[in-house]
Amino acid sequence: MKNWLLFVVTVCVLLLTACTTSNTRADIQEHEGEKTVLYMNNGKEPTSFNPPSGFDDVSWNALNNLMEGLTRLGKNDRPQPAIAERWDISENGKIYTFYLRENANWSNGDPVTAYDFEYAWEQLLNPENLSPAAFLGYLIEGGEAYNNGNGPKDKVGVRAVDEKTLEVTLTAPTGFFLHVISNPAFFPVNKKVATENPDWHTEAETFVSNGPFILEKWKHNSHMIFAKNDQYWDKDTVQIDIVHWAMVEDTNTEYQMFQTGDLDMTSIPSEIADQLIEDKNVVIEEQAGLSFFRFNVTMEPFQNEKIRKAFALAINQQDIVDYVTRNREEAAHGFVSPGFVNPDGGDFRGITGDLVVFDPKKARRLLKEGMEEEGYDALPDVNLSYNTSESNKAIAETMQAMFKENLGVDVRLGNIEWGVFLEDQKALKLQFSRSSFIYDYGDPVNFLESFTTDSTMNRTGWSNEDYDKLIRLAKTESNEIKRWDYMYEAERILAEEMPIFPIHYYNQVHLYSDSVRGIVRHPVGYLELKWARKD
Amino acid sequence: MLRYILKRFLTMIVTIWIIVTITFVLMISIPGSPLNEERGTSESVQRNLESYYNLDQPYHIQYILYLKSIVTLDFGPSIKQPNQTVNDLLGQGFPISFELGMVTILVALLSGVTLGIIAALKHNGFIDYMAMSVAVLGISIPNFVLSTLLIQQLAVNLNLLPPATWASPLHMVLPVAALATGPMAIIARLTRSTMLEVLTQDYIKMARAKGLSPWKIVIKHALKNALMPVITIIGTLLAGILTGTFVIEKIFAIPGMGRYFVESINQRDYPVIMGTTVFYSVFLVVMLFLVDIIYGLLDPRIKLHKKEGE
Repeated sequence: MKNWLLFVVTVCVLLLTACTTSNTRADIQEHEGEKTVLYMNNGKEPTSFNPPSGFDDVSWNALNNLMEGLTRLGKNDRPQPAIAERWDISENGKIYTFYLRENANWSNGDPVTAYDFEYAWEQLLNPENLSPAAFLGYLIEGGEAYNNGNGPKDKVGVRAVDEKTLEVTLTAPTGFFLHVISNPAFFPVNKKVATENPDWHTEAETFVSNGPFILEKWKHNSHMIFAKNDQYWDKDTVQIDIVHWAMVEDTNTEYQMFQTGDLDMTSIPSEIADQLIEDKNVVIEEQAGLSFFRFNVTMEPFQNEKIRKAFALAINQQDIVDYVTRNREEAAHGFVSPGFVNPDGGDFRGITGDLVVFDPKKARRLLKEGMEEEGYDALPDVNLSYNTSESNKAIAETMQAMFKENLGVDVRLGNIEWGVFLEDQKALKLQFSRSSFIYDYGDPVNFLESFTTDSTMNRTGWSNEDYDKLIRLAKTESNEIKRWDYMYEAERILAEEMPIFPIHYYNQVHLYSDSVRGIVRHPVGYLELKWARKD
Repeated sequence: MLRYILKRFLTMIVTIWIIVTITFVLMISIPGSPLNEERGTSESVQRNLESYYNLDQPYHIQYILYLKSIVTLDFGPSIKQPNQTVNDLLGQGFPISFELGMVTILVALLSGVTLGIIAALKHNGFIDYMAMSVAVLGISIPNFVLSTLLIQQLAVNLNLLPPATWASPLHMVLPVAALATGPMAIIARLTRSTMLEVLTQDYIKMARAKGLSPWKIVIKHALKNALMPVITIIGTLLAGILTGTFVIEKIFAIPGMGRYFVESINQRDYPVIMGTTVFYSVFLVVMLFLVDIIYGLLDPRIKLHKKEGE
């Protein structure tokens, strides 16, 4: 009896093994040989390849290489003509007319039309579709009202004039609109395909693309295979024939796969970052974003500006990046990250300069003054909260030591699981908490508007009328020079009142194999394989 | 026998119902909502999302809806992977996790029993000590440490095997080795001790006296009885292997369903939490049930006892 059972189990297992393994193996092998195959890692399964739905980097990194919007960010991270060959902007800066390329086609041979964009953007804003990226479309006239269910669809300022002309009306002149529409949320959707099959984007078999690559195979949660798109208008630029995307979440495994040649690129496990970061093949690129801490100005003692500033100036950001994170981030002495270029070609950071610089002496003086203002004999208890992770813990502990050393203040630390942390932070239940911001598009206002009075990203209880006004102006001013002036001013107010204080700007550190060149990562996050080469 | 099975089956249903209910209560009592994103969505979108996922309903209605989804075996769409239903996720992930788990238990059984028999036969000899040292080592090293070690040595340094992912039988070697070592060690120790006990019994002496070859005695007579306790603990080991796959699948980037189990809780993806919990508990309860039945089939004393009881 026992032997019989064992035999059956063995046969079942072997059969199962045989059928699951044979086809995946074949996928990979059929592409080796003459073709250039690039091995990438996407980390995990993309949330969605439907442009209006997938609002995260695991979707964007891949999707940005399958599809293309009216503009695409170039190697210099600035928007370049893509599906739109050229465009006109009206005198008042509110009406954009895009002229689509005659030779822009979908991978199934259909031409890419203005109707496809009209359809896709309507999908983005349609309240029924629950798109997390819908807020990006609020720049478009009628977009916010439609998305909130307060306005009709036909009042949305997107109109296909004819097959190849798209007219977009904005609520206000928006200097960064061309940058925003390079975001995958604004990619077109093949209207014909999507109306016939609303689930066109969930499987490789039905997926139509208009970018450098097509989705040849998508085994969910396992791997994807992209092949060069011979319908792409700029196909001669594309040098990679096949991109194989693994979905490996564990950084150590990813690095080990890189070592064995199973991946052409890897991120660096934090445990060995300080050894690896010296490698000649390590590429460090900026990522627009800020790691910072929020004070809750509705809780003692942080209702006091001087006490807030004392805490901010007691932190040596340079030491944190040099000895704690050790990932070559740039210590942040301002709020807007470097790399945002004004109309005159100057960097935002260079203009407002260093606003938050470590100064223990001044910090102690401010703390004393602040305590006198509030009539404190002893500082109320301070609890610093962070969402649970080893790196957040290391930073928090370092800060705890710095507060002790530079202010003589004992700060208590507490870690909270992410979901709870976020809820508590939004509900203003945390007194002093870790925060981070990653830009969605390349304009400083994306970050700065987080701290207006009614923003859901504020989470400090801080409110300043002048600040709100400056941000409103920065979103509506048509004169770019003035618009940037408003943003400089807004940042100065942040530094003056310090409801938050900065630690470091983000970066993207990757190790590339010797043979790979030309992969571009934009500071706003997504990745370009269009110019990649592998020898 | 049939009555016994029926009774066990009813107990199974009740067990699963209790698990579902406890999971539901725990799930709704963790703070944080699946729709609480870093960037807040507009109020109307938030409202639409809530009503789409029935999160605007009172808890007792939500509970009844969950029970309904379990009975109809349709867990609905995942909140965090909107293009896939929970059934899709389970359908893709389960065969792979099952394959990993089954191969592991098979490897653990075969190697553990072999190791145990050898150790018992060479009792207190060099081989016995070696085998038991390996077993102690296997029990003490956590599988995630072993995985990293195996990848580093066998894949990176020696380049013998692929480091991760799930593409060919060769890709299975490392994860199965990492996962099977612990259970193998337990089985080896157990087999050894029961084997030692069995070998001293009279019927073995009788067999020896009849002049049977030592191998025939071990395989045909001793092993059958020595394996009874091993079969008993397979159920427990299976639970250990299942939870072990959560970690191993992540390290080896295996597209099984273990990752959803952990991730869904972090993301408060309610339908996936319920789906994976129900699935795992049903699977485990059924496996334990099967082990009991096999146990009954293998051990005549149990059958006898049941008959007498009726």
